[in-house]
Amino acid sequence: MTATLVVFLAPLAAAVLSVLFGRVAAWLAASGALASGVAAAAILARTASGESWEASVEWLPGLSVSLSVTTLTALLGVTVATVAFFVLVYAVGYMAGETERTRFFASMSLFLAAMQALVLSGDWLSFLVAWEVMALASYLLIGHWHERGDARDAASRAFVTTRTADIGLYIAVFLLASTTGTTSMAAAAPGGPATALAGLLLLVAAATKAAQVPFQGWLAAAMAGPTPVSALLHSATLVAAGVLLMVRAFPLLPPGVLLVVGLVGGITTVVAGLTAVAQPDLKRLLAASTSSQLGLMLLALGAGSVAAAVFHLIAHAAMKSTLFLATGVFQRDRGSTAFRDLLGAGRDSRPAYLAFAVAGLALAGVPPLSGFWSKDAVLAAALASADAWILVPLGFAGSLLTGTYVARALRLLWRGETVVPGPRGGQAGIRSDAGGVWMRAGLLALGAGAAAVGLLARPLEELTAMTLPGGWGAVAMGLAAAALGLMGGWLLPARRLLGGLLPWAERGFVVGGGLAAFIVRPVQRLAMAIGGFDRSLHSLVGGAARFALALAARVSAVDVRLHRGVEGAADGALSVARLVQASDRDGIDALIAALARGTRELGRAGRRLQSGLVHRYLALTVAGFAALALIVTLVVFV
Amino acid sequence: MSVLLTGQLVAAVLFGVGLYGALSQTNLVMIMMGVELMLGAAMLNVVFFWRYLHPEMYSGQMFMLVLMTVMAVEMAVGFGVATARFRAKGSVEMEEAGELRG
Amino acid sequence: MIQFLFVLLFGVAAIWFGVKVFTTASMMRSALALLFSMAALGALFMAAEAEFLGVLQLMMMATEMSIMALFMIMYMMSPGGLTPMEMTHQKRFSLVAGVVTALLIVSVAVSQFREPSAVAVAPAPDAQLRGLGGELLERSMLVFQAAGVTILVAMIATTAVAMRRHE
Repeated sequence: MTATLVVFLAPLAAAVLSVLFGRVAAWLAASGALASGVAAAAILARTASGESWEASVEWLPGLSVSLSVTTLTALLGVTVATVAFFVLVYAVGYMAGETERTRFFASMSLFLAAMQALVLSGDWLSFLVAWEVMALASYLLIGHWHERGDARDAASRAFVTTRTADIGLYIAVFLLASTTGTTSMAAAAPGGPATALAGLLLLVAAATKAAQVPFQGWLAAAMAGPTPVSALLHSATLVAAGVLLMVRAFPLLPPGVLLVVGLVGGITTVVAGLTAVAQPDLKRLLAASTSSQLGLMLLALGAGSVAAAVFHLIAHAAMKSTLFLATGVFQRDRGSTAFRDLLGAGRDSRPAYLAFAVAGLALAGVPPLSGFWSKDAVLAAALASADAWILVPLGFAGSLLTGTYVARALRLLWRGETVVPGPRGGQAGIRSDAGGVWMRAGLLALGAGAAAVGLLARPLEELTAMTLPGGWGAVAMGLAAAALGLMGGWLLPARRLLGGLLPWAERGFVVGGGLAAFIVRPVQRLAMAIGGFDRSLHSLVGGAARFALALAARVSAVDVRLHRGVEGAADGALSVARLVQASDRDGIDALIAALARGTRELGRAGRRLQSGLVHRYLALTVAGFAALALIVTLVVFV
Repeated sequence: MSVLLTGQLVAAVLFGVGLYGALSQTNLVMIMMGVELMLGAAMLNVVFFWRYLHPEMYSGQMFMLVLMTVMAVEMAVGFGVATARFRAKGSVEMEEAGELRG
Repeated sequence: MIQFLFVLLFGVAAIWFGVKVFTTASMMRSALALLFSMAALGALFMAAEAEFLGVLQLMMMATEMSIMALFMIMYMMSPGGLTPMEMTHQKRFSLVAGVVTALLIVSVAVSQFREPSAVAVAPAPDAQLRGLGGELLERSMLVFQAAGVTILVAMIATTAVAMRRHE
């Protein structure tokens, strides 16, 4: 149980710790991958004895989130962890001079955790969550060098395209959950039109994720990310998740849907193969090759063999990652991945070229390399299926084209466009500094894996209790396809091979602008329109605010005037009061004071009579007496 | 011309002179002289009235004695006051006697 | 007739001396003038056949004027009149008052004068004396007593006022 959790918790812990301890992010990522691998091996060992269990947590009554461990899921976990570990080792050297290493390794660890969770998931809910986290990690990693415009565009395009197709996934899961009553993947489907519809919708999501026709455009653009990202995500794991989805859903699918699956895979194999032959860029060639190989896996599933598809998936993981890591070495040497810059790069880095050649030949199906065995299984399954009449020709054509573009790449890397020995390189090959050591280590390990996986066929058969289809007819077809393809690619240039299809093939058989025009750009335009709408809302609010402020200013001006009016009234009242006071002081008080003064004056005047002088008194007496006498005389005698 | 009238006229003039003196003099003694004259005039009048209107009644003479008493008393008291004043102020000038001024 | 002449003479003398009292600069002369004026009055009394009163007047006035002369010399600044000083105030008013009063009395006297029908005969002097004494001690006893008491009171009052204060 603990080991089960460690498988995806170890890389998750590495991702979180990388954010905190950025300086040792690379070490944390690598050790996270290693721990995950060890734990996966442990549980694989446990399942080898026939055990299989589920680790679940009930989050709603009747619904639970679970991890399901079977030999198949454990095997896939080991594969993913192994490839991831070596790619991370390689990445230490590849990213040696970069500045944003923390973000890179944290995102890689996050991706690994999500992939392991997806591989081990036991119910649709955890599957969906892991699916989405993987898409997020892919976005972060493709757009790692975000200052480059093409990287940003590619990341957006990949994200929007896969996200749109995930609608199918959601509807399918909903249908399944509602018909079976549970979200567990192991639930048996009742069959009927609902299940068929669910299966088709799942196919839509898987095909988009696996860059199948008509959704293959995003993978070529995703090559703008760093090469380790291409090596891990876009060869071995992310795109394989699409195939994994169909593998897990295989029990549910009715035969009609299986036929559609096979057809989609088959058509993709051919179309992508043609595209690969015409590409002017090595990484784009490899991207188209990935689509083609995934198409083969879906073809095997459509033919009814889960074992063949899974085996080819494991082998392809080793082979394609080796091819990408070698491409990374050439990229570091020459500074670009375009063929015109890489002409003869193989001569300059011979160990890398050796690894590239081994993996490429394995991919083409040359025995005894791993690709021979897996391709053989796929073709045998196609031969044995009910729809062999269409699946076999498609499979054969795909194998042929595989050989063609592999040989082309080898030729261009060694010799250049013309059959003339290229200039002897001035570079010393793989750098001998520390970064180069890491890169070499990862590259060689995976190269060995590419060569040797074929040897694991029998042990794996016993382990998983599945049988790989075989048969001499398939062997013969495979060998013939490989021989023809290799010779054609080595000897003939792409123009001669494809003729009039070259321009189409270069562009990847894009129809009417492709999904980029159908989906991605409309979505982006919608986003911008909404942004504009949001801005207009803001300006509306701003305008309303300005209006309110202006109103407030007006009101305050009126208020100021009111204040002045009130103050004026107050002044008026004060002046009236002062007037009254003045009238009181000057009028009434003055009157009273005058009265008092007059009385006092009168008194003072009266005082003058009191002179104290006798003669005055006498005079007064005489005058008074005279007056009295006069009066008496007048009264009495007149 | 009647003697009575003559006497009355004399008395009138004398009274006027005495009044003039009482009012115009600054010295207390002179004022008292004026008062003397006025009293004298009054006495003259009384005597003539007795002699020519009722000589048989001696109350006229009595009144004349009363007037004479008044004259003497007035002079005595006046000189006492003058003495007191002189002692207080050093002179009996009525011009300076304004202490009761109010 | 002779009576009339004497009355006239002594009257004019009285008036003239009375005016002299207030017009002379010397105090001594004022006192003497007053004396003579009073003497004239006494003479007038005698001319009006009130002999006792005339003599009384003469005697009293002589003594009084002497005392007055004494006081005058005591209290006045230049009794001899050697330094001429203006010793009057409110002169015009006093003049007017004097004249007006005199005229008033004259007018009353003249307007109310009625010649007596028969000239009265004055009793003999000793008869007058006797009559006056009888009048004093019989009918006017109260007046006499009052006058005496009044004189006593005046004497005491004057003494009290004129006493030197020992503080």
